[in-house]
Amino acid sequence: MTCEEFQRVLPELGSGHGIGQEEHLKSCRGCSNLVADLNTISREARVLQGSEEPSPWVWKSIEVALRQEGLIQPQLSHSRTPTLVLDWRLRWLVPLAATLLIVFGALIYQRGTGQPQTAQQQPPPAGVVTANLQATEAMGGEDLQLLETVGERMPSMRDTYEADLRSVNAYIRDAEQSAHSDPNDEVAQQYLQNAYEQKAMVYEMALDRSLP
Amino acid sequence: MTDAKKQQGDRLSEAEAIDRAKQGDAAAFEALYNLHKRRVYSLCLRMTANTAAAEDLTQEAFLQLFRKIGTFRGESAFSTWLHRMAVNVVLMQLRKKSLPVVPLEENMETEEESPRKEPGADDPRLAGSVDRMQLQRSIAALPPGYRMIFLLHDVEGYEHNEIAEMVGCSIGNSKSQLHKARMKLREILKTSRAEKATKP
Repeated sequence: MTCEEFQRVLPELGSGHGIGQEEHLKSCRGCSNLVADLNTISREARVLQGSEEPSPWVWKSIEVALRQEGLIQPQLSHSRTPTLVLDWRLRWLVPLAATLLIVFGALIYQRGTGQPQTAQQQPPPAGVVTANLQATEAMGGEDLQLLETVGERMPSMRDTYEADLRSVNAYIRDAEQSAHSDPNDEVAQQYLQNAYEQKAMVYEMALDRSLP
Repeated sequence: MTDAKKQQGDRLSEAEAIDRAKQGDAAAFEALYNLHKRRVYSLCLRMTANTAAAEDLTQEAFLQLFRKIGTFRGESAFSTWLHRMAVNVVLMQLRKKSLPVVPLEENMETEEESPRKEPGADDPRLAGSVDRMQLQRSIAALPPGYRMIFLLHDVEGYEHNEIAEMVGCSIGNSKSQLHKARMKLREILKTSRAEKATKP
């Protein structure tokens, strides 16, 4: 079998190869490399499934439309047990986490566009640097605290949010690597900022749901 | 914690959520949305390369689904039903912009779109892994027709017979487009890698 013959039937082969094709792959480095590359691309693509998250306003818009069209029936509200101390702890965590992540994302973006630091600019506070280090690890202290809170309020959702956090942390890691390897790459910087914003959204949604 | 509150907080199974959504339960609609939002949005985003457009299309796909949820009888998987709607919404958007969707005949593609064939040439490997960000950029650089088939098969995991039904092409065309998409991606990734290697 020639390379031309092999590559002509390649679209039909899928994951299996006939004897003739196997023999050709053993003897032809070019076609063997080609098949390996195509399999790598296919395999790596699956990781991208469901890796992006829409902003919270998408659901809000859908909900408004469903109510206007009468597809959502009015529900009776349920009484809630007040937990004032827990509410106070949760409420400050939302803006703090979102602010830390977005401010740090903006600092990385500014560094990437080569803007010089002026005398008036202060170095980022220790909390922000800590947030950066924690963001690049699989599960930092803030993430664990969030999961603990979700676990207390909605145990059945804990696994979902843990998976969300791991996914967005991996996204942040990848985006940071790309941004650091080429600080002038504006697309990579934008991806990094998007990644931080996504993490802030996960926090916001988790804590919105957790509040009574 | 009251029983009612515990029941509200517990995650609904998809089947329960569908039944409750048919009765107008807001939490059920939201549960279905949260179960599937990422896959639908990711598909729309990769097809449009624009977050605002992708969010609009995601919203439209879910609204169409929820309006018709009363007619869902479970003949196919709910996720397949939803993705069919998302694909339709995306295809309609592409057609509005007069962008080429899936070529019905293979010879409709231009030479520029078709990846070069190098039978028999010495062809170094990409190596065992591909940078995720670079792969995303490369997918965005594919022509829309190739991109749709690639996303549905390699990213979303649909079979060629399902893809053919969704986009309105033959199974053979779906396989051919997928192969060309992968070849094109290989070319883009290799070029990108070579450019990075030569940068000072």
